[in-house]
Amino acid sequence: MKLSPLGLMGAAKKEVVNNNAIVVDGLCKSFRIPKEKKLTVYENLIGLLKGGAYSYEEFLALHDVSFSVMHGEAFGVIGPNGCGKSTLLKVLAGVLYPDCGKVKISGKIAPFLELGVGFQPELSAKDNVYLYGAIMGLTKKDVDKRYEEIMDFSELRRFENMKLRNFSSGMYVRLAFATAIQTDPDIMLVDEVLSVGDESFQKKCGEKIEEIRKAGKTILLVSHALGTVQSLCDRCLLMNEGKMVALGETEMVLEEYSKMRTGK
Amino acid sequence: MWFVEYRELIKILTISDLKVKYQSSVLGFAWSMLNPLLLMLVLYFVFSNVFKATQDHFALFMLIGIISWRFLANGTTSSISSIVGKSSLVTKIYIPRKVLVLSTVLSAFISSLLEFLVLVPLLIILGAGLSPYLLLFPFIHIVYFFIVYGISLILAALYVYFRDLTQIWDVLMQIGFFLSPIVYPLSTVPPEYMAYYMLNPITVIIQMYRDVLLYHQMPSALELFFTLATGTVILLVGSAIFEKLERRFAEEI
Repeated sequence: MKLSPLGLMGAAKKEVVNNNAIVVDGLCKSFRIPKEKKLTVYENLIGLLKGGAYSYEEFLALHDVSFSVMHGEAFGVIGPNGCGKSTLLKVLAGVLYPDCGKVKISGKIAPFLELGVGFQPELSAKDNVYLYGAIMGLTKKDVDKRYEEIMDFSELRRFENMKLRNFSSGMYVRLAFATAIQTDPDIMLVDEVLSVGDESFQKKCGEKIEEIRKAGKTILLVSHALGTVQSLCDRCLLMNEGKMVALGETEMVLEEYSKMRTGK
Repeated sequence: MWFVEYRELIKILTISDLKVKYQSSVLGFAWSMLNPLLLMLVLYFVFSNVFKATQDHFALFMLIGIISWRFLANGTTSSISSIVGKSSLVTKIYIPRKVLVLSTVLSAFISSLLEFLVLVPLLIILGAGLSPYLLLFPFIHIVYFFIVYGISLILAALYVYFRDLTQIWDVLMQIGFFLSPIVYPLSTVPPEYMAYYMLNPITVIIQMYRDVLLYHQMPSALELFFTLATGTVILLVGSAIFEKLERRFAEEI
């Protein structure tokens, strides 16, 4: 833990009232980029015989990132490619372990990093709804209750007994989104999954997200589509090269971002 | 505990795995049962005619050995890729990664149970009969499950970092097949090697299956204790290694 005491105190002062859905404090994450990737026992043995030491470069993907998101807030994370926003999202989702710093999440979290995670092409659409529902944290009873709604939303009732491998990619995504949206999370982590499907389905997804937001859920959105961010998010975080650049009202941060881009 | 909290997910992943394995339900399972039966027939022919093995109920003797071995072989070879093969469940969402290994091993465990179930009528038809010692079968099978699951945890975690592990494990399994008393009786092992030979927990497990299914006798207390202890140790070591390596899965996959 490389937390400075000052940082901790600052954070403590701000968060006297515990109405934060996400608190990120002094988060660091670095990746090892090996100079020579050894993926087999054979390569490792040869490497040992040659006497070459295992060498890698450290790549700092996140450097001292701290922010908090309140319950019911829509929060955007923007920045150029490789700025660390996806890494941040993965740390929040619990997929990556942070090197230092703390992440505190209160409430049920649903990561939408990719739709249809764990789908089995060899099984029917119906089986997959139950499977994907379970992966997203729903019990069988929950899915039983919501199955009709899922089929209606995805408009795929006719195909419920068809194997998933015969689905078009559009149908696949519709089924995934319709199921995932039923998880009823307190906090949604979204990584540009809104840009899927045809226009009418995109619109439907947008409406659904808006509905969720209005229901007082917390949304953390990572996106390149500044239009979406502007229309959806209350506050934003701008990142560059793993560091925080700006944090605040969406308008202000977007302005900062356009300045940053034109400045280069 | 994680496996209580995620029991629904474990259940549905196991069922999905079995469904995919036995696609067309009845026929699918028939095929997977045909494999050990044919192997037994070939080995029976070779050993009873070529090597002149003299063993009561030699066919059943071998079949028990083959079916028990298949749980280890199928369980470990399918779960070795349970993490790498389901990479999106590791990199795109958080679920305890052990769930993936556990559900794969559970699916192999159920397949193995079905294979043993087919063995029961064969025991009666071929004149070996059944005995009350059969009640010990669940204990042996569960201890065996601990062993297979523990080994699978180690293999699945290491496979993320060493992608030629499948080839290495294939060879080790082939060696293991002949280092366990599957196609020959324990009495043919030279006495000077016996002490080392018995260190193989699979040997003891197979002997115990034969005791309760074929010889109608109680496995010795030492055997019961030895396998239980080995099973626990392998499970604990496997979990520890898995937890240590798990932290970087999402980066390495």
